[in-house]
Amino acid sequence: MSRALVRRETVSGYLFMLPCLIFFLGFVIYPMVQCIVTSFFDSTMNRDDIFIGLGNYAELFQDKIFLGALRNTVIIVIVSVPVVCIFSLWVSSVLYDLSGPLCSLFRCVFYLPVVTGSVAVTVVWKWMFNNYYGIFNYLGKNAGLIDKNINWLGDERFALGCIILILLTTSVGQPIVLYVSALGNVDQALVEAAEVDGATRLQVFWKIKWPQIKPTTLYILVITTINSFQCFALIQLLTSGGPNHSTDTIMYYIYYNAFKLYRYGYGNAMGVVLAIIIAVLSAIQFKASKSD
Amino acid sequence: MRLRRILALAMTGAMVLSAAAVTANAEETTDITLWTYPVGNWGDSAAVDGLIASFEEAHPEIHVSVEYLDYTNGDDQVNTAIEGGEAPDVILEGPERLVANWGAKGVMVDLSDLWTDEAKEAIYDSVEAACQNNDGVFYEYPLCMTAHTMAVNRDLFEAADALQYLDEETHTWTTEGFINAVQALYDYGQENVAAVFCGGQGGDQGTRALVNNLYGGTFTDAEHTKYTADSPENIKALELLAGMDGINFDASIVGGDEINLFVNGTLAMAFCWNVAQEKTNADLVDFDILPMAFPTESGDPQLCGGIWGFGVFDNGDEARIEAAKTFIDFMANDETQVVEAVKVSSYWPVKDLGNIYEGDDLMTEYAAFVQYLGDYYQVVPGWAEARTAWWNMLQQIGSGTDVTTAVAEFSETANAAAAQ
Repeated sequence: MSRALVRRETVSGYLFMLPCLIFFLGFVIYPMVQCIVTSFFDSTMNRDDIFIGLGNYAELFQDKIFLGALRNTVIIVIVSVPVVCIFSLWVSSVLYDLSGPLCSLFRCVFYLPVVTGSVAVTVVWKWMFNNYYGIFNYLGKNAGLIDKNINWLGDERFALGCIILILLTTSVGQPIVLYVSALGNVDQALVEAAEVDGATRLQVFWKIKWPQIKPTTLYILVITTINSFQCFALIQLLTSGGPNHSTDTIMYYIYYNAFKLYRYGYGNAMGVVLAIIIAVLSAIQFKASKSD
Repeated sequence: MRLRRILALAMTGAMVLSAAAVTANAEETTDITLWTYPVGNWGDSAAVDGLIASFEEAHPEIHVSVEYLDYTNGDDQVNTAIEGGEAPDVILEGPERLVANWGAKGVMVDLSDLWTDEAKEAIYDSVEAACQNNDGVFYEYPLCMTAHTMAVNRDLFEAADALQYLDEETHTWTTEGFINAVQALYDYGQENVAAVFCGGQGGDQGTRALVNNLYGGTFTDAEHTKYTADSPENIKALELLAGMDGINFDASIVGGDEINLFVNGTLAMAFCWNVAQEKTNADLVDFDILPMAFPTESGDPQLCGGIWGFGVFDNGDEARIEAAKTFIDFMANDETQVVEAVKVSSYWPVKDLGNIYEGDDLMTEYAAFVQYLGDYYQVVPGWAEARTAWWNMLQQIGSGTDVTTAVAEFSETANAAAAQ
């Protein structure tokens, strides 16, 4: 290929990319840079920003509420990520063995919470957890499990657990669909050969299927981790971080500082810390996946 | 040929003249924007359009465009507009935003020239005090007001023989009467008499008014510089509430949820109430609602109020600022227009206009509460942080934290925010 042709194709390639690139630079890269820069300033409304170096970061790690929010976020991630991965893998293994229409039906059922608006899902859960007439209290009392109503979302012993439960139901849909597809792509010749050689179901799964669905697992791990770290809407709609900050998450605390107290610099510093944590965890997940 | 030339000349002349007329007209008209929060029907274009039409008829030189905000996203919209230099000319809201927030940030116009001696004499003192900052700069010109009350389920009170503890005539009761009534309802079998809701800031004026009134406490000092929730009166009130059978500190609900629970009969009292709630829920309620002032030892309730009026953003354009002031003057001072503008809000005027709701029994009944309007302390600095700290404090008390400790923590947080 002549150099002129190569140059012409390169130029056309860049021209085709240009609209997307402009959008990416303007709406992704620029805000990211701005976020990092602002985190070094005392920034609020209608006043010039004041440079304070690492002041926001120093304050962060002495802020008990932020540390509590960090702890809650880590608990959410530690509980929800493995549960989502294991549960969705189990469900999709069962679904995969079902006949076509039945498999599609259950895929739809599990995917429904994903496509339903988060506000609608949250309102239904709020009703089920209601302290006065919620279905959980009704069933619990009728089954003799509890003798008086539990204030599920208003009691710090239960509130975070309730949030995690709701998060799980809204998080498993997509992994199930992905796993069902991944299992469909497993080489059946290998599976049948292993079965003929007398391999057990567990051996077939662990030695044949698992290595082939590992890239999907990695993707699900990374996405679920990021989503769990960014848990916000549930908190905003159900508990506002309460009771006693027991359901505060980093994302909610960022929102509170930036948009309620107008502490943009402080909120951005939290955003940077959250981004670093997610990036490090994702890198570890990638690394661990490659070393296998 | 000549005829065609004359015709062409005439048409050209007509076009030039009409263009000149349009230009001249455009030069004479000042366009201003009004952003309004949903204060009663001020969030409903069908109601507001009539008011705007009257104004534009009286002042054809000014054109008003209206944008309707809601309380969920309104603040974000306004703040974004301020940051982008696109703030509206006029905004309708209360002093906690106009004076304490945007006024304090220096983005509002001083409206002192609208506050003539005549206006000051006519407008109630408590309202006048709320519309200015501590330096006497007026950032709001008021239109309407209401007093937030509480309400009780009259049928349930009657069944529990608790009506004896309140005065239906004056809508008042004593702290002792309140204690006895709650006990009577609880003994009658009403497990959930009332809820000190603290799931968020929605309707939080109700819980503050309850605590402050029981033993005569205040939320801030008279100068609105310091939070005084840690006073012995407030601590005594919180300890009383925390120890009462039938009253739950509920961190899973906010004011709106409490109203729903009251309306569906789950709770016997609502601490977050006003006339708008009674109107909105009229079709859902199957019992008699009795609006009440908050109980006090002294018999002199101090109700939290809502005061709504107009503020002008400083957009640096004198013509638009003047037009905005003309608009405010017309809406709030024109004899005919002010009545209509207040009626659209479904509240009451900030000055004596007689009974503008003649023949409306409900509005006349609720008008009795306006006399109890207390200090409008929402203009205190650090308000946003203090509001959050308040319901967090109630959550702590509900979880068993010692009242004195929780209140001390609140005061430390709120006063630190006030000092910034």
